[in-house]
Amino acid sequence: MSRINRLRDKNRDFRPNATRFSRILALILLFAFIALMRPPAPPVTVGAPQTVTTTIPQLGVHTRLSDEVEPWKIKRTLQLAREMGAPWIVEFFPWAYFEPEPGEFRWQQADLIIDHAEAQGLTVIARLGLTPYWARPADTPDTFLAAAAYDDFAAFSAAFAERYRGRVDYIIVGNEPNLSFEWGMQPVNSADYVALLHKVYPAIKMANPDAVVLAGALAPTLEPPGSANGLNDLLYLEELYAQGADNFFDALAVHTYGFTFPPDAEPGPDLLNFRRVELLRDIMIRYGDGDTPIYITETGYNDHPRWSLAVSPAERIRYSADSIRYAISNWPYVDVIVLWKLRTPYPDNSYRDYYTLVTPEFVEKPIYTELKRLTGNE
Amino acid sequence: MNKHLMHCATLFLLLLAAACTRQDATWQRIAQDGVLRIGMDPTFPPFEEFAFDTVQGIDVDLAQALATELGLTTEFVFLGYDGLYDGLAVGRYDVLLSGIVPDMRRTQDFAFSEPYFNAGLVLITRADSAIGRIQEMADRTLAVELGADGHVTATEWQRQFPDLTVVPLASAEAALQAVLDESADAALVDNISAQLFLAAEPALIIVDEAVTVEPFAAVVRIEDEELLRRLDEVLQKVAESGKLQQIISHWMRP
Repeated sequence: MSRINRLRDKNRDFRPNATRFSRILALILLFAFIALMRPPAPPVTVGAPQTVTTTIPQLGVHTRLSDEVEPWKIKRTLQLAREMGAPWIVEFFPWAYFEPEPGEFRWQQADLIIDHAEAQGLTVIARLGLTPYWARPADTPDTFLAAAAYDDFAAFSAAFAERYRGRVDYIIVGNEPNLSFEWGMQPVNSADYVALLHKVYPAIKMANPDAVVLAGALAPTLEPPGSANGLNDLLYLEELYAQGADNFFDALAVHTYGFTFPPDAEPGPDLLNFRRVELLRDIMIRYGDGDTPIYITETGYNDHPRWSLAVSPAERIRYSADSIRYAISNWPYVDVIVLWKLRTPYPDNSYRDYYTLVTPEFVEKPIYTELKRLTGNE
Repeated sequence: MNKHLMHCATLFLLLLAAACTRQDATWQRIAQDGVLRIGMDPTFPPFEEFAFDTVQGIDVDLAQALATELGLTTEFVFLGYDGLYDGLAVGRYDVLLSGIVPDMRRTQDFAFSEPYFNAGLVLITRADSAIGRIQEMADRTLAVELGADGHVTATEWQRQFPDLTVVPLASAEAALQAVLDESADAALVDNISAQLFLAAEPALIIVDEAVTVEPFAAVVRIEDEELLRRLDEVLQKVAESGKLQQIISHWMRP
């Protein structure tokens, strides 16, 4: 039996036993005593205000700090964003974390993240989503948001917008609603997402008239109509415009990945690559919405050795830098380019780890150094 | 307290009995059919890949060797890398054997065999080099694959050995070639790339030290304890007989 399984079995074999219980209790007391004797860890201060030095003011990174427990790690992550020359961050603020009971808000973690981000001179784009248990039927996943809860989500979004008015003025409504996985494992329905925007947009605007509300954040996918997995993002965007959704967002959030294609590869409706942005932009123009900016809120390349949509580590570095250059040179309508993702608090043990720029232990990957160089910080 | 303990013990025995029933059912089904169903993603040479109308590689031969020892025949089921664990969970196959590194976060649902290959980083030098261990890398030139795990580790080493020069190159093969060309003292690459390269280049050797450990292991569902026990047993047998190394050497060729 392998060491891993032996360890598991050892844990499983634990059974109540008075002697063992006494020993454990004694150990707990000993540790508690030692902990009390230790001087308290110095508090993590926000520090003096910093500014981001960069040659690419459109650049941003996802930071994934809502699950980060230790304040110094939150601070260090945001320092790394600044040092990389990325003035923008996208951070996920899960509704379920911040309103665990109806009307009971717990903003401590959000406060911490936003305080540190502000001190590092970063502009925060907040992604809101993830339904608390009380706002969805039992046995539904936390991405499930029924129409009956749209008012509750709008109220939460407004509370967030009001609390952080002037500090967080960019808000994304939901995430990849064209994927069943992100839409509560239900068949996707653009009409439902439009109905959600109808509720959330005015609520945010009322709380913070200066807020830039971003919609869409569609996943790049070729899923055909009727698929159980989702719907092609081009078709989904068409449906959003056909239903007048453009009155309920200020900028379109776009997710675009190069996968195995170099960034300048020609786009096409039947393939997924970096320049798919141009096809989405064509739809916006066709519906007379050419003045609305695009915020690329997810992009990047992956260099997992096994994943079929990954490239080699060297290609990842080159393609990532080239994709940023390409967007800046060719897409004046793109205001922000956010890389997925700077770091995660813990490894995912899958191909997803190979999207990060820094390891959970804060080891900077060579791609991080290269991006620093790109922004004039190395 | 005693009553409480009795309840716990009863509950434990009931759970154990339930687990044993399921475990027996799985192994009994395999033994009855005489077929071991193996899941893999055949896009990972030299461990598994399609060649014309067949699948071949280290994992394929190893699966057949294990099945032979168990008195079974093999049936291969192919799935994409991302779905391999799901395929095992829903019973599309009995064993997952596809260059899988054990994941501690999955041990609630799956169990892993003893490892059969370490795919982690290794340090490569010329056979005539004086470098015998990592600590002797100070003031040396180290070739790595740009951006790969070896590059990240080498950057860490630079903190320990400030005089270490790290040379990032386009691929693991390029890094190994640099050692051969004497433009680098050593290379830090993954063991698969190293083994494939070294099969044709006896002038290079792996320094007798695994820099990082990335073990490949077979995976079964957590309840299939009997299957796991038997797999570990025959895996050990195949390893001790030299058959495992023979399979690896056969496929680790340029």
